[in-house]
Amino acid sequence: MILNFELPRELRSLITLDEGEEIYYSLPADIDEHSMYTRDSFLVVSNRTIYSVMHGKLEKKLSVADCDSAKAHAHVGQGLLTVNHKGTLIVLARYTHGHMARYAYIARGINILASGRSEHVESNEYEASCPKCGRAIPGTARCPHCNGENRFLGTLKRLARPYIPQFLGIAVLMILASVTTLVNPVIQRYLVDDVLLDESPSKSAAFLCLGGIFAMSVGIVFVNVAKSFYSTKLGARISNDMRKSLFEKLQAAPLSYINDRRPGELLNRVVQDTRVIREFMENSFCNLVTVAFIFVCDVIFMLSINVKLALMAFIPAPVVVVLIMLFRKNIHRRFHLQWHKNDDISSNLQDVISGMRVVKSYGNEKAESEKFLKFSNEYCRVQIRNECFWAIFNPMLNFLMGAGIFIVVYFGGSQVLAGEMTPGELIQFMTYTQLLYQYLNWMTNLPRQLTSLISSLERIDDILAFDRIPDHENGVVSKIKGQIDFEKATFGYRSYKPVLEGIDLHVRPGEKIGIVGPSGAGKSTMINLLMGLYEADDGLLLVDGKDIRTLDRKSFHSQLGVVLQETFLFSGTILENIRFARPDATYEEVIAAARTANAHDFICRTPGGYDTYVGEKGYNLSGGERQRIAIARAVLADPSLLILDEATASLDTESEYLVQNALSKLTKGKTTFAIAHRLSTLKDCDRLIVIDGHRICEMGSHEELIAAKGLYYELLTAQLQMQRRREA
Amino acid sequence: MEDKNTDITFFESEGGFLGAKTEKKAGTSGDGPAVGTYDRVRAVRLFPFTDPMKYISIRVGSETGEELMVIGDIAELPADQQALIRRDLELNYFMPVINKIISIKDEYGYAYFHVLTDKGEVKFTINMGGNNVTKLSETRLLITDINENRFEIRDVRELTPSEQRKLDLFL
Repeated sequence: MILNFELPRELRSLITLDEGEEIYYSLPADIDEHSMYTRDSFLVVSNRTIYSVMHGKLEKKLSVADCDSAKAHAHVGQGLLTVNHKGTLIVLARYTHGHMARYAYIARGINILASGRSEHVESNEYEASCPKCGRAIPGTARCPHCNGENRFLGTLKRLARPYIPQFLGIAVLMILASVTTLVNPVIQRYLVDDVLLDESPSKSAAFLCLGGIFAMSVGIVFVNVAKSFYSTKLGARISNDMRKSLFEKLQAAPLSYINDRRPGELLNRVVQDTRVIREFMENSFCNLVTVAFIFVCDVIFMLSINVKLALMAFIPAPVVVVLIMLFRKNIHRRFHLQWHKNDDISSNLQDVISGMRVVKSYGNEKAESEKFLKFSNEYCRVQIRNECFWAIFNPMLNFLMGAGIFIVVYFGGSQVLAGEMTPGELIQFMTYTQLLYQYLNWMTNLPRQLTSLISSLERIDDILAFDRIPDHENGVVSKIKGQIDFEKATFGYRSYKPVLEGIDLHVRPGEKIGIVGPSGAGKSTMINLLMGLYEADDGLLLVDGKDIRTLDRKSFHSQLGVVLQETFLFSGTILENIRFARPDATYEEVIAAARTANAHDFICRTPGGYDTYVGEKGYNLSGGERQRIAIARAVLADPSLLILDEATASLDTESEYLVQNALSKLTKGKTTFAIAHRLSTLKDCDRLIVIDGHRICEMGSHEELIAAKGLYYELLTAQLQMQRRREA
Repeated sequence: MEDKNTDITFFESEGGFLGAKTEKKAGTSGDGPAVGTYDRVRAVRLFPFTDPMKYISIRVGSETGEELMVIGDIAELPADQQALIRRDLELNYFMPVINKIISIKDEYGYAYFHVLTDKGEVKFTINMGGNNVTKLSETRLLITDINENRFEIRDVRELTPSEQRKLDLFL
């Protein structure tokens, strides 16, 4: 993401830099003091000074040294950058959503400069639209339009390299098909001119010609079948290989990479974009060479037979191409609209059917029916309109496509009558004209297909070219002792919205830490950092004194036990689910783990025992039973570091007891981080930390925090009161 | 909705933000928000689309903390107080209303808008794949662009027929 925009020349002259002064950041501030859009306002930050340019005039000039705590506020539809200047909070810039993330980086940058350091802040986020051509970028690092066409061939070549023999094979078949298509009219001419119109037509020569035409017609069928077969096979293989490498890359990518993208987008890349490639291979590539080859030869042949007639036949071509393009665009718009309306219907249906209980209980059936009827009528109206349009214009277009033939028949016919051309030549010429228009039609479709192919390739390449941080070979940790240190760790899922700020926490090996705080305060986020799913934006997270980023992921994760609020069981048997962390565990070990987790007894009661199939479509386990399977999983893995995120929150009292009991066996002597809303479950923690307002606001043992009468005390008394009220 | 027991007066704090001072009304008793002076409060709309100038929640701090009170109709406040709240609303909300559509170009899944809004002329891009054009009512549209900026069309029928035709694809 660009943090240093080029200033327009007339604004650049407003800023005179001292010696040793360098512009670090420069961003448009596109909302002015009257809340109107502005294009000539910028915020410029050098290593010494902050300049605010408003409507082409230098409005503010602040020394960075006088400023602190710069902050980017995300409001509705706009953002504000504020800074504390000599003790007064002032607004430095107002901007629209497109710049929000940028200003969050700038705020961080200003704070770094204000603290006397001089490093630049950089952003790895992608631009939403291309700074060069202004087009939207489909979630990739580069604009497919600006770079795509140059790089397209390179990417295609790189991705196609392993399949060169297959490509060559298909190309040979294509040439064969083209030659057959082109030679057929030549034989036809020979048949008419030299055999049929001969003074003494020879029957055997005629049959020979017919035989040749027949053999070619049959041959072209075989060639086409072979061509389609190999293209389809190749397409399926390429898309399969791509899916495989995409999936592997995605698994290796850090969660933040996946989180930066819209949900479903990565799914689409794996499923849809590879399909686009397969379809292109099957439908277009397979004909591409043939069509190009035939088209060029066709034009040459026509010119060589009769230049004047050829040029006349070409006349309608540009008109036809333009008309087809317009027609296509119109059709596309119309059917997009129809698709939209259809979508309205399905989402309305989905809404009503899944909310049927509410609809019925409020007696709202009639109103809902009317609403649905309206959507349905609207769809029907659009559909009728579109089908009429298609029915009227499609035949007209087909007629126009034949226009070239009419010209050829009229003028060619006159030439034949005048003896300037033989009938056979005319027949040959007509066939070529037909071919010409047929392929023109096909080629007008090509730009759209190519664009979608380029976009898909770019999106796929974006993942394939993504270099993950390599695992540190020497970061392999054989046995974690469990000392955890957060040092001024700061993190936000979106750069402009920090969730944790300046977290300082030092945990001894074997210590049990309870994390408390209101919802959304950042408890789970802290756990996510600890699990290495995300990396801190600022500050450090140390495991046994080593930066978590330098640890070998696999060896670190194998020593991490996690029990979350909702346990995700994979489709498979209970045995497989318990063995998830250690597939080589023996039956005895699995049973022992299940016993420790208080899970053995209920497993025995299921019809399939340890072989009971669970997961999405399997045997229905209760929440408590799932939790205990997760605990058994953790017990089996024997981790050095345990994370319990609301492990007992959604359970009834009895299951909670069983799960708590299992957990206390599991956590013995291990560094444990536990999050809980129900504070009573954190009684035996060595230390509790209270998170509020993105920071740790209280820390200490249960007794210490009660004595301090802070937020923890308030939360505890509130819960006790609620409990008493419920009992009363 | 307005707090019967508390008076609130707004002032411009240092740096140009909205500040507020709350006092107990004379001769009243009962619960009310904390009495005191707040250097930074924020005005938050409860019905930003249906009634943007009514039901304004006044909250402490820049991160919309505790609520001081809800003002049912700011038109009932003295002029200077109204101006202060309006100013703060302007800093908190930026919701351009489209008055004229200059052009819409669609290309490969994205639509490029060039429009005139009450905040000036602007170009933006929307993704045609998602639900980026929402109907607030039969004739009122909310358009979200690829940067998550939101634009409103108050009444589609007030656009010229040719502008409506450009919008056809999204209705």
